[in-house]
Amino acid sequence: MAFSNLNRHRNILDYALGSLWRNRFKNIGVFLVFSLVIFIMASFRLVTSSLDNAAEQLLTAVPDITVQKMTAGRQDVLRYKDMAEIEELFGIKELKPRIWGYYFDELNGANYTVIGDPSFDGRQQMPGLPIVNQPDDGSRQGVSPVVIGQSVIYSKNLAGRHSFSLFRPDLSLKSFYVTGAFAENTSLVTSDLIVMGIEAAADLFGMGEGELTDLVVSVGNPTEIDTIAKKISERIPGSRVITKKQIQKTYRAAFGWRSGLGLICLLGSVCAFIILAWDKASGLSEEQRREVGILKAVGWQTADVMSVRFWESVVISMLSFTAGYTVAWAHVLWFDGFLFRPVLLGWSVLRPPLTLLPVFRLADLILIFSISILPYLAATVMPAWRSALIRPDSIV
Amino acid sequence: MITLDSVDKWYNRAAANEVHALKDISLQVSDNEVVCIQGPSGSGKSTLLSILGCLFVPTSGQAIINGKPLSRLPDRFLTLYRREAIGFIFQRFHLVSGLSVMANITLPLLPLGMSVPERQQRAEQLMKKLSITHRKHFDISNISGGELQRTAIARALINDPPIIVADEPTAHLDEQLSNEFMSIVGGLKADGKTIVIASHDPLVSDHKVVDRCLLMRDGRLEGAKE
Repeated sequence: MAFSNLNRHRNILDYALGSLWRNRFKNIGVFLVFSLVIFIMASFRLVTSSLDNAAEQLLTAVPDITVQKMTAGRQDVLRYKDMAEIEELFGIKELKPRIWGYYFDELNGANYTVIGDPSFDGRQQMPGLPIVNQPDDGSRQGVSPVVIGQSVIYSKNLAGRHSFSLFRPDLSLKSFYVTGAFAENTSLVTSDLIVMGIEAAADLFGMGEGELTDLVVSVGNPTEIDTIAKKISERIPGSRVITKKQIQKTYRAAFGWRSGLGLICLLGSVCAFIILAWDKASGLSEEQRREVGILKAVGWQTADVMSVRFWESVVISMLSFTAGYTVAWAHVLWFDGFLFRPVLLGWSVLRPPLTLLPVFRLADLILIFSISILPYLAATVMPAWRSALIRPDSIV
Repeated sequence: MITLDSVDKWYNRAAANEVHALKDISLQVSDNEVVCIQGPSGSGKSTLLSILGCLFVPTSGQAIINGKPLSRLPDRFLTLYRREAIGFIFQRFHLVSGLSVMANITLPLLPLGMSVPERQQRAEQLMKKLSITHRKHFDISNISGGELQRTAIARALINDPPIIVADEPTAHLDEQLSNEFMSIVGGLKADGKTIVIASHDPLVSDHKVVDRCLLMRDGRLEGAKE
């Protein structure tokens, strides 16, 4: 009995496949449009997941706690004496001063992020941010070593050169020597970055002696980060204390917000397609009505005819889903998701030359499946049922 | 045995376009009998055949086929009974275009869950009997009228039903093919089938294989030609 039932479904599936082939021109049209809709949605999701994943990996290099000073709601300079207020706090593994600022390069119309690190010597690797070191050509006397991001190389046209200059606030030039570049796969956070020694950064920005922008705190026990952050904010009045978790959350929120907005816009195209699918499934041709009449007349039940229509929809939707998702995967893997990358990364002056790697997430797959395949199947069930109700005597 | 007792059939009852297609029809067809129903177009032949073929039920009256009262059966059970007991040959053959001869013949077997070899074996036997084996893989758009009809007959017989109902089976055939059809009917009668044919073709009604001819006019059975 069970075997016969299985055979029945196999026979009906066979018939459905034949029926799809017989109406292949119409079905290929539906397949192409549906694949395109799924491709767009899956690409969007995959680009978001890839960026999310890249940010997740790269943000391991972010300090556990960053302390800044706020005055009148705006960021102000910290002083070395502020360090003394918190360096004795129990649980702090390492406390470093830092200068973090932005430099607008008028010549190229680009903004660079400048970080001055006291332990920077131009050679050491940074955790989570691999550096491709340049060969030392001995021309570094009297200039500050820097490690720069890929967009800075491009913007300053440094291919083959190791040195460049930036203007101080008094318009005098400060020269730098490039000892290395951040790897391309870290471009999401390093694209516009220039890392140098803290004295060099203070010199570039014309900051007074003992002035800083940030304090960078490393905590021994990660579970104590929030507690220590709270203590720091109590010790330094008017400070803004940012934890690693908050920075990660900000990145996620930025991509998540853009991705969500994009998906809502794309839902419009899904709705349009579902209406098209409903219309296509409802508008049976005379030939299709006749076929249903014949099937009913030779002994097919209404449920059998519905099964044919159901299998047709399943086959079309699954093929479209596979094709759309595969092309979306290729779009991210080989073309770096070029269609949606600008939307998700923003149209900054320096576009990060980031290489995206698609990330498989079951949740993404289920999301795309739920907002494409399920509505399509639902939209075709009702017309399928109505078409299956055609009476067998309609052909007599 | 087919028994119709005081059968009436209305279409669109109580509507402006209502049609009283069958009026108080009583009829008995014995097992292994070949009955021809004659009558002009619109006389109700096709409606009568649809009731005999279990395509629908009468509005009132009794339809009993092989001892089973079918008059009030829901569509689902009517379909089951039609699948088991009735082979219907339609006036315009009503084959599914785009399918091969073999695929059309085996259509009624698909929902039964019969395996491919079993289906093919049954179809091969019928095609051999009806001399269309050489066309089994042909699309039905590429075969002749006679072959189309033999395909339709094979489809009607594939479930080995005891009753065959044929609606104007020779309407689109020339004389030679019509004679061929009646020879096939003779063979089916020899196999013990009960056959009801609606036709106004004298070649059918006058054929020796027909046991009884009934005349329909305006929804009523008016008389019989023995």
